[in-house]
Amino acid sequence: MIKKQTVSFKLNGTDVDVVVEPRELLIHTLRERLQHTGPHIGCETSHCGACTVDINGMSVKSCTVLTVQCQGAQMLTIEGLEQGGVLHALQEGFTHEHGLQCGFCTPGMITRAYRLLQENPTPSEEEIRYWMSGNLCRCTGYQNIVKAVQYAANKMSLARTGS
Amino acid sequence: MTATKETLEREAKLNGVGVSRLRKEDARFIRGKGTYVDDIKLPGMLFGAIVRSPYAHARIKSIDKTKALAVPGVVAVLVADDLKPVKLDWMPTLGGDVQAVLAGEKVCFQLQEVAMVIARDRYSAADGADMVEVDYEELPAIVDPHKAMAADAPIIREDIAGKDEVGHGKRTHPNHIFTWEAGDKAGTDAVFASAAVTVREEILNPRVHPCPLETCGCVASFDKVTGQLTVYITSQAPHLVRTVVAMLSGIPESKIRIIGGDIGGGFGNKVPIYPGYVIAIVASIVTGVPIKWIESRIDNISTTGFARDYHGIGELAADKDGRIKALRFSALADHGAFNSHVSATKLPAGLFSICTGSYDIPMSYCRVDAVYTNKAPGGVAYRCSLRVTEAVYLIERMIDVLAQKLGLDKAEIRRRNFIKADKFPYTTSFGWTIDSGNYHAALDKVLKAVDYAGLRKEQAEKRTKGELMGIGVCTFTEIVGAGPTKVCDILGIGLFDSCDIRVNPTGSAIARLGTMSQGQGHATTYAQIIATELGLSSDEIQIEEGDTDKAPYGAGTWGSRSTPVGGAAAAMAARKIRAKAQKIAAHLLEVGEGDLEWEVDRYKVKGNPAQSKTMKEIAMAAHTSNLPPGMEQGLDATEYYDPPNLTYPFGAYVCVVDIDRLTGETKVRRFYALDDCGTRINPMIIEGQIHGGLTEAFAVAFGQAIPFDENGNHLGNSFMDYFLPTAVETPHWETDHTVTPSPHHPIGAKGVAESPHVGGIPCFSNAVVDAFAHLGVTHMDMPHTAFRVWQQCKALGIDTR
Amino acid sequence: MKVQIDKRYPLPCSPEIAWEFLQNIESVAGCMPGAKITERIDAGRYKGTVTTKVGPATMSFRGEVEMTEVDASARSLRLLGKGTDTTGSSGASMNLTARIEPAEAGLCTLVGVSELSMSGKAAAFGGRMMSTVGDQILKQFADNFAAQVSALQALRAAPAAPGGAANSAPAAAPAAAARQLNLLALAWTIFKDWLRGLFSKRAA
Repeated sequence: MIKKQTVSFKLNGTDVDVVVEPRELLIHTLRERLQHTGPHIGCETSHCGACTVDINGMSVKSCTVLTVQCQGAQMLTIEGLEQGGVLHALQEGFTHEHGLQCGFCTPGMITRAYRLLQENPTPSEEEIRYWMSGNLCRCTGYQNIVKAVQYAANKMSLARTGS
Repeated sequence: MTATKETLEREAKLNGVGVSRLRKEDARFIRGKGTYVDDIKLPGMLFGAIVRSPYAHARIKSIDKTKALAVPGVVAVLVADDLKPVKLDWMPTLGGDVQAVLAGEKVCFQLQEVAMVIARDRYSAADGADMVEVDYEELPAIVDPHKAMAADAPIIREDIAGKDEVGHGKRTHPNHIFTWEAGDKAGTDAVFASAAVTVREEILNPRVHPCPLETCGCVASFDKVTGQLTVYITSQAPHLVRTVVAMLSGIPESKIRIIGGDIGGGFGNKVPIYPGYVIAIVASIVTGVPIKWIESRIDNISTTGFARDYHGIGELAADKDGRIKALRFSALADHGAFNSHVSATKLPAGLFSICTGSYDIPMSYCRVDAVYTNKAPGGVAYRCSLRVTEAVYLIERMIDVLAQKLGLDKAEIRRRNFIKADKFPYTTSFGWTIDSGNYHAALDKVLKAVDYAGLRKEQAEKRTKGELMGIGVCTFTEIVGAGPTKVCDILGIGLFDSCDIRVNPTGSAIARLGTMSQGQGHATTYAQIIATELGLSSDEIQIEEGDTDKAPYGAGTWGSRSTPVGGAAAAMAARKIRAKAQKIAAHLLEVGEGDLEWEVDRYKVKGNPAQSKTMKEIAMAAHTSNLPPGMEQGLDATEYYDPPNLTYPFGAYVCVVDIDRLTGETKVRRFYALDDCGTRINPMIIEGQIHGGLTEAFAVAFGQAIPFDENGNHLGNSFMDYFLPTAVETPHWETDHTVTPSPHHPIGAKGVAESPHVGGIPCFSNAVVDAFAHLGVTHMDMPHTAFRVWQQCKALGIDTR
Repeated sequence: MKVQIDKRYPLPCSPEIAWEFLQNIESVAGCMPGAKITERIDAGRYKGTVTTKVGPATMSFRGEVEMTEVDASARSLRLLGKGTDTTGSSGASMNLTARIEPAEAGLCTLVGVSELSMSGKAAAFGGRMMSTVGDQILKQFADNFAAQVSALQALRAAPAAPGGAANSAPAAAPAAAARQLNLLALAWTIFKDWLRGLFSKRAA
């Protein structure tokens, strides 16, 4: 009988506690125990990025993290981006620029782009493509995703300068 | 109707056909609130994990479940013997063959399903799967389709060894599936025999896989009390699944509910009915609780519907001016161990005979020989319509080969052979009637946009300096929208489609269709079609697909058939409603029907335009007593649309590549894609489809392949090896269009999503070969990885400084 | 996925000792890191396991090994092995011809020609590493073999201890060699060798 552990962390601003086996992956904990089905599973070799979340200020592929590693973490998933009924600029950008079709890669894409814009508020197209290269998409060909991120970068920069 | 400021404003409010309106479905996806199959959780749900064979060809000597059953959390282990009593160990495929649901006596491809472990969660299920002990006796495997019909070839399909046909005509060997041919062999051979110029190439379409980002899976839930079976499933064709499940299980079709919810990409991978679905259904019937089965990525690439594996020979006969006089194409088709892909009964090689392409070719013959090998089953998939990618690849490569042989410019030779604009509808020598086209205009527009003459000049200069620059031209015509039921059926069921519209009293509407979006934007585009027809805003038209309890019967979404067939059904259903609305309006306005004319969103009395009734007003009236005598209340209609023909979208693409002769690396400098899909419903969505299809074409042309070793082992079935382009490699796409409506489609639309894939692949290949054309290279097989291109450079002695 | 492995290992003993040792399949198995004979089916056929570790994960193969074509005059024999890993996701088979060749100074050489074939996950994901990994495993095997035959030679040379311990030498082998094959340690060894190889090439 494998001994389970209690793990506590902050998920999208709310404290959560889960009891898991040490081998349980964070993606499964999020999707099945915590009912956060935004992050998706697209592979098992940590290539596709559909599972991307944001932990302690870093983009992390939650398929390659054990839940027990997340004790005390500050975690953000796609579900945490809309605040008080107001969409994040990225969420707006993806709709506005048609940056999604089937939507399966979208939560991971947006969560990754969120971290990109935190670290680099004015990325060039090349920088956007490089930063997003850990997130695969089969539907869009990435061109509109780049435009979506640029839309968000512009909107956020306008909000900062107040103009 | 002359457009006034006022009518234009009213039209704009509809957000109908032609508007790049934002998508209605995005709201849930950007919040992570989509409902994909793996998001479904039902009370008491158990998880299924499949045990698979490590061998490509082997006898099963024994299966021992004891250790697996002892793993904590494991509830059951199903093997073929458990399915035999209910005759579910084998199932019919959509291709007219049968396929093992769980292998009983032998396995025929690596990772074939051998058992399913049912457990309380996916971890225990995986633990249990590790503990199932299977004893195999390895057999020699056939991996090369050219060896499948050798006299001493091992027999793969012992289960049909006695059958001399598997749905498509006589078999000449136990590993033979069918031989299909079309055209005039004698006539074609005669033209070749006396032709001024002939060219011949062996052309491979390697085995690849569509790899949608979401893998396949289902949640099957059988209610023992009511006898109702509900299956949430990643299927592009929910109604077909329901019918097949009814045939298989004996449960009345009216008690089966198949639900396609949000699907994370299909690309043809989610059309076949996979053993995992059937085992999950059986497991649910046996246990009485919901069973979830979600496959891994490795299982997806290794065992679900692959695409292509067509080993082709292309031949053209022409006069000295490059006018093609005859075409002779053949292909050896490797279908894997079972013929499981979607296949119209009369067209086992799909629509391969579209291979005369955009050209006026008076005489033609083609033949496809399909064989079994010890590989995963499939063949038709990956944005190909039905073998159309294979066909267009052959003709677009061969016309370049012919151009090179004659020293003709590759755009010019196409112009000389195009079907002229005034010849449509044009019936090809294979019998397809191409509805409309204007190939010269499309090509001219593209060549002007990219300054083709300038590019050729630049290429000539670069060649003097030993630099490799290639210009790829592709002018494709493809065939989509299966299809007229006389010609197109699956297991007998015709490929019509349907739309059911209900307008409610306050003037909004719900429409349900038999197609199934996997990201194509149907919730938006169908609403736009209906908005324009009915004069109601697309914002107020809800579109539903996928729930077979609610949606009228249809054949689903694949082969770009939604717009040609589903879109037509939507328009026709809307017109039935308009016809009834006209009668109601006439009654309300106290005039004759003939005194009314329709203007954007209302009926107006001719000569007295102040007298009008909007569709909204009519909708309310339709639910009151104020109706013409004898008319029923309600304002809805259902249309089952049997298309009179398929549709023929076309395009002209140009690709410019620069190849580093020292490393073989190809940079796509420019890609200009002009598509003509007839009436354009939502230009933004069309552009998105083009980007996506071109990216998948780029992947196929430059890096995708599913290699096997001589024992049938997969050598590249995970993302460690299988090439999916990231944002870094993917080129920038330029899109353009012309509009040549389809004369037989109610709104003139043809469908477009597969065109970029079908046209992109030969365009990239043509560009790469063109870079070496001056050195005598006539053809190079895909994928054009840096290594393979470098090998070509090495063979030419140009790979060093 | 087939790999051809041809190896020659000089041994610190006489051909007769080496040949005696070679025919004892339990002892030979004991020299292969992670391998163990678990059951004798009949003369020449055995069941066994090979266990490897990568970090915390353990992979176990179970299968059969058959010794045939034993030719005492040529001092050669053939070993046929085949098995699957216990999760059923990989298969392997081996066809090995081993013989003892006399060498100078009364010593000898162990010559092995084998064809190793992998199926399933091991082939799909491990295939590219097979020769390198195979080389390292065989190196360990040869080292163990050499140590064992050396001990056996010493035992035969020494006067028989009271109680007839003549055949007890192989008993020492399994305890030492049944230590599990640790693939991380192996990977480190391969990496070090590769680095070394880089530098020695440059020096050449």
